[in-house]
Amino acid sequence: MADLFIPILVAFIMIYATIKGVDAYTSFVNGAKGALPLMASLMPFIIAMFVAVELFRNSGLSAYLCEFLAPVFKFIGIPPEVCELTLIRPFSSNAAYVLLRDIFSTYGADSYIGKCASVIMGSSDTIFYVSSIYFASTSVKKTLLTIPIALICNVACAIIACFCCRFI
Amino acid sequence: MSKIWVVMIVLSLAMTAIFAPSTIVGTMMEAAKMGVTMCIEFIGIYAVWMGIMQVLDDCKLSHKLSKILSKPVQYIFGKTDQETEKNICLNIASNIIGIGSAATPYGIKAMQGLDKGDKRATRAMIMLVVINSTGIQLLPTTVIGMRAIAGSVSPSAILWPTIVSTFLPTILGILLVSAIYRRRKQNG
Repeated sequence: MADLFIPILVAFIMIYATIKGVDAYTSFVNGAKGALPLMASLMPFIIAMFVAVELFRNSGLSAYLCEFLAPVFKFIGIPPEVCELTLIRPFSSNAAYVLLRDIFSTYGADSYIGKCASVIMGSSDTIFYVSSIYFASTSVKKTLLTIPIALICNVACAIIACFCCRFI
Repeated sequence: MSKIWVVMIVLSLAMTAIFAPSTIVGTMMEAAKMGVTMCIEFIGIYAVWMGIMQVLDDCKLSHKLSKILSKPVQYIFGKTDQETEKNICLNIASNIIGIGSAATPYGIKAMQGLDKGDKRATRAMIMLVVINSTGIQLLPTTVIGMRAIAGSVSPSAILWPTIVSTFLPTILGILLVSAIYRRRKQNG
């Protein structure tokens, strides 16, 4: 279903454009032109985020933080095994995918922990990454409560995820 | 944001300096390299999606799509200009159908449209970032793929919990932003 959705969508757009008399090739090229300047302006922000995340992981701080936070996580219904994933997820998708793969090979994809990890991974996003690149192109220096609100939603997401996984 | 970044860097450096100082420079350079590699990959990904979206735009399909979404978007974001509203609609639509890489360019354009140049995030900007960071996605294709590779008997068993735990926090986020904004308006 998911594999077919995008090809059908793209084919539909191309056919529709041709019927409407729009030169799809020229339009595509004009749109694609914007990608390089966009990424060039975002690159410093992405590198800054990557450096911070990798230093953080390499230092072992994320592991310590998890040990420290495990009782709290347990209290709100999140298994300690998915703690590091929950912490890293807001910073970096790539790092979180690495952790998810680890969890699958250690506990199995169909275990409760594996399911919780899958749902947390699939239903949340990289808060810090999103907010840094979205604000990067604007004049905004004060992001006010953006990150706290997003983090509250993220915690809610993890709680709901682990709760739902008890029923599957 | 910048405070979090500085704290992360300083704490990590201090920690690493105690246990494994020789790895610091290597880690930083490796991370920067990963960042550049990702940017280059993303140039390709964004080029394809921005190209397709431009076709969508030129044949007025995006206009129709944003008309469907415009009522809820107006309700949630308040008054914005037409171009920005269209970008917000396209951002949310691409998120929902699971092409997050197509959503980002539109999100950024929308943010620029919402920017009033006064250095403070507006309610609509906060709303957009919060909605995007709760990851409204119907089909977690990558996770399902990874589960299949890991030998799961039913890789897509996580579908409904994922949908539930995506939409409830999104609604929570919208409510929180709305509530806080209203209170501020009354105070000031």
